[in-house]
Amino acid sequence: MSNLVLVGLNHRTAEVGIREQAAIQVNRMPDALKELSSHAGIRESMILSTCNRVELLSLADDYEQGIAALESFLRRHSQLSSQDLENKLYQYTGDQVVRHVFRVACSLDSMILGEPQILGQVKSSYSIAVEAQTVGSYLNSLLQASFRAAKRVRSETGIGEYSVSVGSAIVELARKILGNLGDKRILIIGAGKMGEMAIRHLVSSGAGTVLVANRSAVSARNLAERYSAASVPFEDLRSAMIRSDIIITSTGAAEILITHSMVQQAMPQRKNAPFVFIDISVPRNVDPSVASIDNVFCYDIDDLGAVVEANTQERRREAVMAEKIVEQEAQSFCARLRARDLTPIAVQIQDSIEGICQSELQRHLRKIGTYSPRETEELESMVSRIAGKIAHPWLAQLKSLHQDPLRQDAFADFIRQMFHLRKDPE
Amino acid sequence: MIWTLFISAALYVLGLLHSIFGFYRKRLVFVRLALGMVGCGFVFHTIFLILLGLKTRHFPITNLSESLSFFAWCIALVFVVANIRYRISVLGAFVLPFVSALTIFSQLFWDENQALPQLLKSKWIYFHATVAFLAYAAFFLTFIAGVFYLIQEKELKNKRFRFLYFHLPSLQVCDELLRNSLFAGFVAMSLTILTGAFWAQQAWGQFWSWDPKETASLITWGIYLLLVYYRLSSRWHGRAAAYISIIGFVSIICTFGINWGLHAYL
Repeated sequence: MSNLVLVGLNHRTAEVGIREQAAIQVNRMPDALKELSSHAGIRESMILSTCNRVELLSLADDYEQGIAALESFLRRHSQLSSQDLENKLYQYTGDQVVRHVFRVACSLDSMILGEPQILGQVKSSYSIAVEAQTVGSYLNSLLQASFRAAKRVRSETGIGEYSVSVGSAIVELARKILGNLGDKRILIIGAGKMGEMAIRHLVSSGAGTVLVANRSAVSARNLAERYSAASVPFEDLRSAMIRSDIIITSTGAAEILITHSMVQQAMPQRKNAPFVFIDISVPRNVDPSVASIDNVFCYDIDDLGAVVEANTQERRREAVMAEKIVEQEAQSFCARLRARDLTPIAVQIQDSIEGICQSELQRHLRKIGTYSPRETEELESMVSRIAGKIAHPWLAQLKSLHQDPLRQDAFADFIRQMFHLRKDPE
Repeated sequence: MIWTLFISAALYVLGLLHSIFGFYRKRLVFVRLALGMVGCGFVFHTIFLILLGLKTRHFPITNLSESLSFFAWCIALVFVVANIRYRISVLGAFVLPFVSALTIFSQLFWDENQALPQLLKSKWIYFHATVAFLAYAAFFLTFIAGVFYLIQEKELKNKRFRFLYFHLPSLQVCDELLRNSLFAGFVAMSLTILTGAFWAQQAWGQFWSWDPKETASLITWGIYLLLVYYRLSSRWHGRAAAYISIIGFVSIICTFGINWGLHAYL
């Protein structure tokens, strides 16, 4: 039977101090995998170690033994005591492992729901394990199925579409108003951290020209150089503003830098082209009343927070659908796995009954020995049919329990006892 | 022959359902499927119009049901073109109800006009009616773009980041759609009035006779002329243009509805 086991900790169960100690570096991964696989009763294994989670996944001969092996490995590697790890580890077995691996690959278990990096991390961990030759056909099919599930989630839900950081919220707002940002001009006032974050997002989303204005010309130039932008003297703010489409203020100034009348006067010179003000400074630098002018849009830090919140809500809504897809995929994968697990025992029952019948037939033939070859052949096939008919109800009953894995396992054990079968056919 | 119209109506409705689902759940796959269905529906509709024209030997806009069907065909054409050009996924959910309803109505009240008035047996009808209906269809799109613009602008100004904020296109796209459909519609409408005048000269002996439909068309044309002028001089950006596009469309509906006087033959 496929005894999948998983032991791990993640951002929900363990704080960063524990996570960093438990983490396994990429260069040490092959050795760790080999060491893990050398445990008695562990047949296949894989390790996923990212900044938010450390998970050990194995195919074991036995659930309890497997879990114990993984836990002791984790303790030894991280040099954390059982007390340190108390209530920080989660353990999954059987179908739970399938569900968990699928949810992780689909980014439903991530700190930022739907973030796209995790799938790549799972894929690279998998290929490291393939190279170290610690995965076999079981983990191979499990991981492939999880990649398929992740692909379905990406294409059938919009979980990755919504911006959930302040920087991407700025880009989203600007795009909702100005469309493509490629030919737009951006003016950043202030060379603070937040301003830099805004430039980084805008530039990476293909924004056009960037201008930086700051009271201290040196830091404006520094920031401008980093993003191949131009710096403008603070005194030319007004003319720079008129030529820009997106204005981001992030200064320490306590007063209003951009007043209602400044913007009002600028509009005719801009031929009424839309203006977007993003005011990340607290206290605010843009007079909030500018928003009452036609074609002028003004957002402060709270508004950006509201965009992030709205996007997060949308992601959660998409996650509900993603969970349904994961459940579907996990169920169909488990059913396939179980059908595969039943093949050996089915063959064993058939072989065992047929063996008894055939040996009785041989004895009979030795005693009588007067049959023609055709009659012998007929007798042999009859015995084979009898064996099939005796085996059939057992197998039918075993298969009919597919809804209930625990009872199915128990029944399989019972059959093995009845027919004196070994658990491991090899 | 009428079965081709039936198939196209069914395809339009299917396209509409897929568009609404795609719009509501934000699934681009369904929007693309919808576009494909509408495209097929449009092909069937075209076949229907050709068959009808061959059978009756006249341009198929001589009575109410024929006009409705032809109008639906024009909107479907404009919709497909706009979708290829802009890929606005929500457009279908707003435009296709009209296309479907017009096609279904046309089919329900189907009636083949056997006795064609002498007036309509003219070559002018081909060009005059086609550009008229294309102008209506283009202005319909201008109207939809204006509505999109106003809603999205309101959401953005009031800082309400809700369903429509996420689902409607950006202001810039709305504005561009408004402008392009406006220009296309304006050219078509100008041609309508010009060809109408020449036809009138031949049929009634004078270019312009202040018939109610002629007057209404001229008023509508005037409204759109104003919009085009201000749009070109970029004085009316965005909201004002969107409002005028709605007023213009109301005027279009009036123009379409006025069928007495010299134009009384529907």
